Amino acid sequence: MAKLRNKTAGILNFSDYKKWYFKLFYVLLILILLFIVFISVVPPLWVLISGFKEPSELFSPKFSFFPEHFKFSKLLSAWNRLNVGKYYLNSVIVVAGSVASAVLFNGLMAYVISVLKPFGHKIIYVLLLMTMMIPAITNMKTLLGNIVKLGLMQSYLPLWLSYGANVFYVVLFKTYFDSIPQPLIEAARLDGASSWQIFTKIIFPLSLPIAMVVSIFTVNASWSDFLLPFLVITDPDKQTLMVRIYRVNMNPPSGMTQDQILLLIGLSIIPVLILFGIFQRQITDSVATTGIKE
Amino acid sequence: MRETMQKIRLKVWKFLKKNAMGWAIMLPGLVLFAFYIWIPLFQNISLSFFETAGTAKVKFVGLEQYQILFQSRDFIQALGNTFEYTLWSMIIGFLLPIIIALILNEVVHLRGLFRTLIYFPNIVPGIAVAIMWMFLFDPNSYGVLNSLFKTHHLWLNNEKTVIPLIVFTLTWKGAGATSLIYLANLQTIDKVYYEAARLEGASAWQRFRHVTLPHLKGQIKMLLIVQIISVFQVFYEPLVMTKGGGPNGASSTLVQLIYQIAFVEGNAGKAAALSVIVALLLFMLTGFYFYFGKERRKHVGKIAK
Repeated sequence: MAKLRNKTAGILNFSDYKKWYFKLFYVLLILILLFIVFISVVPPLWVLISGFKEPSELFSPKFSFFPEHFKFSKLLSAWNRLNVGKYYLNSVIVVAGSVASAVLFNGLMAYVISVLKPFGHKIIYVLLLMTMMIPAITNMKTLLGNIVKLGLMQSYLPLWLSYGANVFYVVLFKTYFDSIPQPLIEAARLDGASSWQIFTKIIFPLSLPIAMVVSIFTVNASWSDFLLPFLVITDPDKQTLMVRIYRVNMNPPSGMTQDQILLLIGLSIIPVLILFGIFQRQITDSVATTGIKE
Repeated sequence: MRETMQKIRLKVWKFLKKNAMGWAIMLPGLVLFAFYIWIPLFQNISLSFFETAGTAKVKFVGLEQYQILFQSRDFIQALGNTFEYTLWSMIIGFLLPIIIALILNEVVHLRGLFRTLIYFPNIVPGIAVAIMWMFLFDPNSYGVLNSLFKTHHLWLNNEKTVIPLIVFTLTWKGAGATSLIYLANLQTIDKVYYEAARLEGASAWQRFRHVTLPHLKGQIKMLLIVQIISVFQVFYEPLVMTKGGGPNGASSTLVQLIYQIAFVEGNAGKAAALSVIVALLLFMLTGFYFYFGKERRKHVGKIAK
């Protein structure tokens, strides 16, 4: 309660909280938050735990949150039988290339628009912003036709490079570059630094935090990506985990049971969960300041 | 004469020297944007006037593809559904993030933890979210929610409830993240304003009504448009949760219909026509977005002065 006595920010402050009904109201607010947290967290938790259930438990009309037996060996045997390692590796390869391409191409693009400002940069920026409203699916058929023509089916290259054309990341980088003091850049230019040197010596070292944020977003987006990987990679040996999950959920292979699908989903959540655990501060802060959610 | 030629040449040289580096650095990015977005977009527009085989043009048919679409039951249904999604997302998903943000802004206990956990659903992969809710909404008696509450609801199999339920799952994933955007704005309100209002004898409700709400207004308008645009792009959920827009097409959306026509029916021309229609609809909505965006910047400028 000491915290309430010192509260000065917000609509209600310490003097309001001297009244009993505001204290009660505050308890109500906490309860509402706890309820929302409960709804947010429990369903994925149910998935993670229920992968350990036996199929008979899942098909029982009696609800149980925890499995009767928690056998860790079940995870290992499912991991081997479902070849999860292979799909994990494929996904990791896709994610790694996507991160590199997202940071490199969008970063350079934003650098030019924000700092170098060559003739025509404003028109380019408007053209980029207009891509924001075009849903990926509307272009997918013709894009896929072009990928086929270039002979890039079954290749990860089109998946990697697709993250190099993301206007949200360009905006993130540009907003950040815009905040770098101009005198710093002007001084370097007067000392005879080339555009390339300005980038490698000033902009790049200063922009590591934003490159980090874009990387985190890309890891999450690319790991979760479905449509393009689904259409480009049809070879089962090269599929990503998400595509695999979609396929087994639509047409379960013989012998595949519901608990195994749940295990797969759980295993697809764990890496992003770890990423979020480590970088939650950076992620939530950047969402708050930029208004870009992913 | 020669002098002017030289002058022009010098000017061109200077112009190139000043800009060439920038263009060169930008080029790879531009190529990617062209390959992934601009070129397919123009191919789509031109394709929409043709009869197609695969993605090859067979015969120019003018606006016939559009005509076929406007007369098809699937299109009318998906269009209606898309507006229904939008309506439900206004009811379920629009106020909630604002309310969460307001609460988070008042609460002083465990703030960081609440923030993190409320954001958490946003990082769960879309396909995983869709399949997860499929399990929870399983219509059988052993379905998670049915067995938990001992009910026999059809959930996603019920034509009447399928759209609100899908909107609920969208809200589950997105509301926390949106509330953090509102929260950041709420935290920029100087407490001096509240203090002044208090000294004038304003009640808590009046402080909210006359200090907080006016401050949020611009952002609320912006995020409203953003939300409408994102609802227009609902795709994974009808694809996965209702196996392609079921029951009886009750949950189909325009973008999911594009997928259906393009990749299941394999009719590229018709899909292209539908893509153009969706792009035009979104173009109009985005026009609103930028209009309100401008207004908001003006508003902020006024306060700064």
